[in-house]
Amino acid sequence: MSTTLRPYLDAVRATITAAVCLENFSSQHVERHNKPEVETKGSKEVLLQPVVISRNAQERVLVEASINAVRISIGIKQADEIEKILCKKFMSFIMMRAENFFILRRKPVEGYDISFLITNFHTEQMFKHKLVDFIITFMENVDVEISEMKITTNARARICAEEYLKAFH
Amino acid sequence: MILLEFQNRIIKEALLARVGVDKPDSIDLTVADFDGVTFHISSTGENKSVVQVSISIRCFAELQAHGADEYLKKVYGSNVAPTENGYSFTIALDFDKLPANKDEVINDFALLKRHCLAAPIGKYFDLCDKGGAGGDKTAVISYREDEKIYLNAEKDRVTVVFSVRFRDADDVVLGKVFLAEFVDARKRLNQAPQVLFSKEPPREIAGAGASVADNMSYVTFVLFTRHVKGAERENSISLVQTFRDYLHYHIKCSKAYLHSRMRARVTSLLKILNRARPEPVVVERKTATGKTFAKK
Amino acid sequence: MAGRLPAVVIDNGTGYTKMGYAGNTVPQYIIPSSIGIKESAMVGDKSQRRVTKGVDDLDFYIGDEAVENERTYATHYPIRHGIVDDWDLMERYWEQAIFKYLRADPEDHYFLLTEPPLNTPENREYTAEVMFESFNVQGLYIAVQAVLALAASWTSRQVNERTLTGTVIDSGDGVTHVIPVAEGYVIGSSIKHIPIAGRDITYFVQQLLRERESSIPPEESLEVAKRIKETYSYVCPDIVKEMEKYDTEPSKWIKLFEGQHSVTKKPYSVEVGYERFLGPEIFFHPEFVNGDFQTPISTVVDQVIQSCPIDTRRDLYKNVVLSGGSTMFKDFGRRLQRDVKRFVDYRLKATESLSGGAIKPQPIDVNVITHHMQRYAVWFGGSMLASTPEFYQVCHTKADYEEHGPSICRHNPVFGTMT
Repeated sequence: MSTTLRPYLDAVRATITAAVCLENFSSQHVERHNKPEVETKGSKEVLLQPVVISRNAQERVLVEASINAVRISIGIKQADEIEKILCKKFMSFIMMRAENFFILRRKPVEGYDISFLITNFHTEQMFKHKLVDFIITFMENVDVEISEMKITTNARARICAEEYLKAFH
Repeated sequence: MILLEFQNRIIKEALLARVGVDKPDSIDLTVADFDGVTFHISSTGENKSVVQVSISIRCFAELQAHGADEYLKKVYGSNVAPTENGYSFTIALDFDKLPANKDEVINDFALLKRHCLAAPIGKYFDLCDKGGAGGDKTAVISYREDEKIYLNAEKDRVTVVFSVRFRDADDVVLGKVFLAEFVDARKRLNQAPQVLFSKEPPREIAGAGASVADNMSYVTFVLFTRHVKGAERENSISLVQTFRDYLHYHIKCSKAYLHSRMRARVTSLLKILNRARPEPVVVERKTATGKTFAKK
Repeated sequence: MAGRLPAVVIDNGTGYTKMGYAGNTVPQYIIPSSIGIKESAMVGDKSQRRVTKGVDDLDFYIGDEAVENERTYATHYPIRHGIVDDWDLMERYWEQAIFKYLRADPEDHYFLLTEPPLNTPENREYTAEVMFESFNVQGLYIAVQAVLALAASWTSRQVNERTLTGTVIDSGDGVTHVIPVAEGYVIGSSIKHIPIAGRDITYFVQQLLRERESSIPPEESLEVAKRIKETYSYVCPDIVKEMEKYDTEPSKWIKLFEGQHSVTKKPYSVEVGYERFLGPEIFFHPEFVNGDFQTPISTVVDQVIQSCPIDTRRDLYKNVVLSGGSTMFKDFGRRLQRDVKRFVDYRLKATESLSGGAIKPQPIDVNVITHHMQRYAVWFGGSMLASTPEFYQVCHTKADYEEHGPSICRHNPVFGTMT
């Protein structure tokens, strides 16, 4: 692990752990509604100042906290065209399966590649620290997977090209 | 399967199924092949023993200009039939009078598309043998709506240029990776033809009116005399004409492979997420005889 | 190139996959829905193990070739009960089906795929994801198998009678479904399954032969039973009378099956007697083979239609369509029609007598439709619909997919009725 990655992830972990401090909170505008305040943005007093942790221009995490929900948006490293496409494909692939990832948002927040929304109902049913663990592992895994996918794509292309050219004697 | 097959499996199986059958049923199939080619396989005659195979190929006029008719007549000989209306070329086989080398004949039938495209490529191979076609004599075969093959022969080599266009934006990038590897791979394999890849039409086909477009790129194969002569000739022709399909096949396979990788990763991530759910507390415990430890 | 290239029609069944180009009357390939892959002995999760190095994932066979290479490749069936179970393998199956068997460049063709009734919308999305993202197909339409089977029955009738309302009896190798369809939409709550299908008939025939014929080599008895079932079986109107016929005139009815041992090449012959009509009879008397399930197929059909909305019932009785290989027995349709008609007539008579003769109900037509496309009815229906110009209008195109995402494929509008 490179030297800057560890502090970056540590900072993200600390921020999310602090932000995931949620309670049940009913809507102040519509009776008998209970919605993530960070999404509706209806009452200013229950929203917290958003935090951005960035490692570089691309890799950054936006943590938007509110009284009953936290929205975490992740920007993923995309060094070149191929990584950009792989990232796009991978993220849309994951987001299509959002119903299995309970805390995943079906659409990313503008400017980021993928977003999570943790509500108080999630924290009531699941372990808070494990959720944070998941987000950190997710970030690590995605980076690893994208670079691996890039390597294997290149390797495949090489094998295919060689096989074709080898057929000419 | 890494390399694509050259022959059409449907034609081959349809014909083989009729070998040695006494009273065959009538057959009438319209099937497609790569590059917008369609085949029509139909039985004619009283006892349905004659099966004719017609091919419709979009650039047939261009192929004819390069001697496709003569070439196909040479390959199919007496099997050439009057061309069916709406198709480019027709061949027929009488199953009551099968020749001794029937397997070869049927195989040649399945290779109909390959032989059509082989005519101009073969012609340029011959031209190379005879000392080149000169700078301005470039053959253009528009084998697809927006993609073309350009052929040129010098005295020591034949240049085959493909204009490659990807319809999908993501494929453009994957295509580039693949094409770059073709260029690279050549450096490790000495016997292979030289491969070049560029955004602009290469110098060899400058006079042929090749266009420059955003998602258009040009792949050049330089085949040397060793590829165009003798035993290698037929193999080289077959390989060259499947290049585009080969490239697209592998791009699609890589995407399928990426999908299975992503599926694997999704399952492993889900496993981690599910660890966050507390395990249900076992409420009821039973003895071996099936009695519960319930307090009364 | 005149006009468009024909659409590709692929019907992936649990046992067999039927595929070919639209506009033809028979599928170009009927191959087992099996895939043979190289399995590594690595530990861990199934999906993790699949992640191979290099191009090892291209080393596999599908269909008959998978069966031939069983020694070196592990055979899997990616479809279970009609529903795709293993997407990795399914994607690779399609890969080879398209490029090696059909030799179609998916970018140039529209595709028609089939799904069983009650398939989940998620599965449709996954299919769309594979088809549009991996293969870049031009357009995709996912049709319900039962609806295609109804469409296939149009060949045997007038143009103005083409309807997408009817009861489909789909019987393949593993299971039989009775599916009511109204105006092109399946009435999901009324579908019934019958655990009797082709395989059960084969086993039953095998068992009957085993009791009597000792000349059949045991290792080939299943194959022989299958051949006998396919060549000699038919449905009789009445078992007792049929048995009498056999007893009085055995020479006329009993057939002789000539077989040859596949290894020793020793010929043997089998007398085929009652099996000829007893095999298919288990549809009407399931208690012969299955202790748990005792409802005859005709009763099931009647129950299914009775559970449907009342305004559709007349049309459902009028149009009972057969599909699948196990409905091919001679006179199967006639027997079913007679039995169902009996229930219906009895019910009408009861109404009449209960009202004391005041009500005279209009008689209900019962029609079981047999046609010569029955075996590949689903594929044929697909091929027919995919060659109409309307197909291209209802298809989801690549542009639609890119704009709206995979969810557009959740709904595939019904088309093709002459209204």
